Amino acid sequence: MGQGTSVTEPLLKVRGLGKHFASAGQTVNVLSGLELTLAPGESLALMGRSGSGKSTLLNILCGLEQPDAGFVSIAGEHFAADSSASGPNQQRWAMLRRQRIGVVFQEANLMPALSLLDNVRLRARLAGQSDQHCGDWLKRLGIGELTQRYPDQVSGGQRQRAALAMVFAMRPSLILADEPTGSLDVRTALEVADELFHQQAASGCALILATHDSALAARCGQRLDLAQMGA
Amino acid sequence: MFLFSASQFSNLFSVLFSHYRRHPLQLLALALMIMLATMLWTGVNHLTTQARASLGQSEQAAAARSQLERVDGQALTVADFVTLRRAGLCVTPWLEVERPGQGGRLVGVDPLAAGCFAQTAPAAGNNSPERIDSPESSKKPEPAWTPVLNGDPFIDISEAAELAQNVAPSNVSLSLLIVPPEPASALPADYRMTGFSLGPDTGELGDSFLLNLDALGFLVLLITALLLRSVYQLGMAQRRDSFALLQRFGVMPSAINRVLLVEILLLALLSVVPGVWLGRLLAGTVSGGFGQALDSLFDTPLYAGQSENWLTSIATMMAIVLVVCLAQNVQALLLRTAAVLSFALPAKLLTGFGVRPWPWLALPLAAIGLAVALLAQSLPLVFFAVALVFAATGIAAPFAIAALSATLARKTREPLACWRHTELGVMARRLALPLVALQFALAMVLAVQALVTVFEVTFDEWLGQRLAADYFIEVPAGASANAAAQWLAAQPELAQSGDWHQVVRGVAQLPAAANDPAMADPKMDNPKMADSKMAGSKTDRKAQSVDLFALGPVSPLLTMWSLQAAGDQPWQGFAAGEGVMVNEQLARRYPLAVGDTLVLTLANTRLERPVLAIYADYGRPAGEVLINLELLPDEFVPVFESFSISPGASDITMITDGLQRLWQVESVRVRDNKRIRELADAVFDQTFLLTRAMTFVTLVLAAVALLIMGWVFFSTRAWYFRLLQVWGLTKRQVLAQLGWLALTLTLSITLLALPLGVWLTWVLVHRINPLAFGWSLPMAIYPGFWLQLGVVSVLIGLSITLLMRSQLGGSSPKPVSAASLRGDER
Ligand SMILES: Nc1ncnc2c1ncn2[C@@H]1O[C@H](COP(=O)(O)OP(=O)(O)O)[C@@H](O)[C@H]1O
Ligand SMILES: [Mg+2]
Repeated sequence: MGQGTSVTEPLLKVRGLGKHFASAGQTVNVLSGLELTLAPGESLALMGRSGSGKSTLLNILCGLEQPDAGFVSIAGEHFAADSSASGPNQQRWAMLRRQRIGVVFQEANLMPALSLLDNVRLRARLAGQSDQHCGDWLKRLGIGELTQRYPDQVSGGQRQRAALAMVFAMRPSLILADEPTGSLDVRTALEVADELFHQQAASGCALILATHDSALAARCGQRLDLAQMGA
Repeated sequence: MFLFSASQFSNLFSVLFSHYRRHPLQLLALALMIMLATMLWTGVNHLTTQARASLGQSEQAAAARSQLERVDGQALTVADFVTLRRAGLCVTPWLEVERPGQGGRLVGVDPLAAGCFAQTAPAAGNNSPERIDSPESSKKPEPAWTPVLNGDPFIDISEAAELAQNVAPSNVSLSLLIVPPEPASALPADYRMTGFSLGPDTGELGDSFLLNLDALGFLVLLITALLLRSVYQLGMAQRRDSFALLQRFGVMPSAINRVLLVEILLLALLSVVPGVWLGRLLAGTVSGGFGQALDSLFDTPLYAGQSENWLTSIATMMAIVLVVCLAQNVQALLLRTAAVLSFALPAKLLTGFGVRPWPWLALPLAAIGLAVALLAQSLPLVFFAVALVFAATGIAAPFAIAALSATLARKTREPLACWRHTELGVMARRLALPLVALQFALAMVLAVQALVTVFEVTFDEWLGQRLAADYFIEVPAGASANAAAQWLAAQPELAQSGDWHQVVRGVAQLPAAANDPAMADPKMDNPKMADSKMAGSKTDRKAQSVDLFALGPVSPLLTMWSLQAAGDQPWQGFAAGEGVMVNEQLARRYPLAVGDTLVLTLANTRLERPVLAIYADYGRPAGEVLINLELLPDEFVPVFESFSISPGASDITMITDGLQRLWQVESVRVRDNKRIRELADAVFDQTFLLTRAMTFVTLVLAAVALLIMGWVFFSTRAWYFRLLQVWGLTKRQVLAQLGWLALTLTLSITLLALPLGVWLTWVLVHRINPLAFGWSLPMAIYPGFWLQLGVVSVLIGLSITLLMRSQLGGSSPKPVSAASLRGDER
């Protein structure tokens, strides 16, 4: 994949990234001096206790939150900390999220009023893909017979499978998954994770997976422990 | 089951209430809604009561009373008063003097002599508003008339007599008011009774207006209840998860319900009191101008002030809150029973929140309602029909929007548009109650606006018709009206530039209808008179006496009348004595249509003439026949004779002087129609203004309700708009989706309100009014006003969008409830 970038150039480059929150009169440094490089097709596990800043980093990497310091370069687009809040940057981030970056949360990845198939179609069309193969993606993720069901009519594991189908149907360069199996039971979590790694390898996109499960993290090519960094 | 300890109760209460500790804004919204609904109802109710009282008092001040005149036409003196009192009659002097300096009138009265004006006499200028306000006290016998002599406008007769010496005689008039004696023969032969009034009798037009105000008040109550119920349901929906959890812990649903009931009652009490206060404040602000106008018209504080009990308002609102909450339980009970009876009922039905489980019920309800409204012959039935149609629309409207959006979603190929449409359907169902409340409010505003405009126009036209001439001169008893008519005809200036006609009023007999030759030529298929077919079959006709007006000569003062139905050139035929005219009341009741032949008996003379036209008369409920003066037989005994005169270039004093000489009387009674018209116009203008203000307040509050509900609703769905942003839409694009949703929702409910509003107007004008009063108002539709409502609904939609904007920004909000986490907020 990785259109517009050569194979040797990294897909994602983060330098000197810092982020702090001000809460109750105190400033909390969540991220500071973070460095990160990721080539197309690679996978990275983001580790750390709850509250260590995993979600914050993922939010920054898709432009939903702005860092205080450092810069992010992603799929050929460069964002410096001081300029990232301005309008044109927001447009570029939106464009990236639309076509190149797929995001999977722990829960609530689907529009409740749309069927599973319509959810996948909506996501694919927003990414500029045709919606012809959306049914296939659901089939590939093992829920081909549930395409006409609504999110509230399927189990939590099936919802996360549908969320993965949505992300893969947009043919992204990078997937940001924030504890995608966090709310599932052990067996279902394992099945969903299997699907995630399988399809990621097949499609050749990069993956950043936030998790506190070391077994899951062990399946990724690289690991980054935020808890150690913050300390 | 009803027994559980106080500590258990308080435990459960604190657990349930902890929801609001976590979501204080929801609690605020709930309290705000109860407060606003209370304010709305209190305000409107207060205004309606005041409008009724004010109209009643102004009518009383201007009410027709009886006064005495000397048969010989001489002016009344103190000697007359003494004679009449000695005869044991209840008379009191009424000395009107121009107020020195400021203008307006002062009325000198004798409080002692007025003392006998108890029970039978309408008490003019009674300054205690409670008397008129409360229905129970109005049933009591009227207290003796004890006017307050503070110059507003009453003063002691001795003061008035002093003032009268410094004022031109034309600005002083002495009348003797009398309680009509029983029997009438008790009146000494030298005197006769005539009517006495300060202004025109607004008659049934005022009553009709009040009836419509009542209908309005009822609708507002309905809207209030809807708003409260929507708030209550919203609260329930937001706490479904807590309830489910508690039930899993073994708490009985009935226990939860009882705690919730206590909770909502406490909350209601806390919000209702400021709501009542605000409502009264609102009513006071709006009605200030109304009171002032009335004061200046009658030189007296006629405006009924704040008199309604606080406790009544609070108790009413609490009762409504209770009914609204109990309705929830009743519905649950019904559904549970239904579930037991039929296991096949899908679970969705049982938890049916927002979604009405019986959308198909709307069709038969609407069909029955429409049919009954069209055919019913009694007022309660028509009101019932209105309730049915409103219920049907209330059930159907959100469902219709949801169904339409589902169809659109299925048709569209574009996934984002598909999402928009499904989301619209969810909103229509979830916001069903506030939407319906807004729809009702819009329909009501539409109907009231049309109605008030119709009233204004009608009243204006009718007054114009009645008061077409500048002056109105009574023919004194014993004087010759025909001689006066000849004298008037001989005045060159009057003939050149002025207009006048003579009026003779009396009584005529109509025969019963059985094998009635009078009805030889019924043209009942006249579409304009279609209603008269329903008013009763012809065999119902009874012999009856009707008021007769003989007019002549036909002047422009007459030909300017607007006729409800007429043949070709009716006034020409009338002038030639070829036919008669009848008022709408007679046409409906007898019934008669244009072209029917009417047989009249006038003092033993039989007169047979076709009906040339039907005219509207809103002032009097009685049937009337209008004939040319020339058709009147010589032996006819008039009840009353007068002249209507517009002097044109000539001077009215020249005419009155001439008539005084001719009739050899000291003075003639002249009524200045222009002043009367100004008076009446001003009173009605204010009343109409007040009504418009009331409906506007209703609309604003319904809009605010939707705003609050929309805001709370969106806050539960903010996550999904955030999701769109995650999927690559810019904040502006997400906002555009939001705006589309809010605007489509408010615009479509406005569109659905239009037919309901037009229908409501039609029912008020063509069904309720004729059934209540026997005459109809013209139906009018004002598309310009529809446009205004469209603009209002756009504004509501935009406000919702702007409110939601703040929720979209900042850090990503997480779904608020477990249900939304699971994604089952469909
Ligand atoms: N909008 C915010 N305002 C203040 N503090 C925040 C905000 N978002 C996150 N934080 C804080 O930043 C830290 C990291 O949070 P997060 O990235 O969600 O951690 P994780 O995903 O690893 O559990 C936490 O201490 C959290 O309280
Ligand atoms: Mg997290």
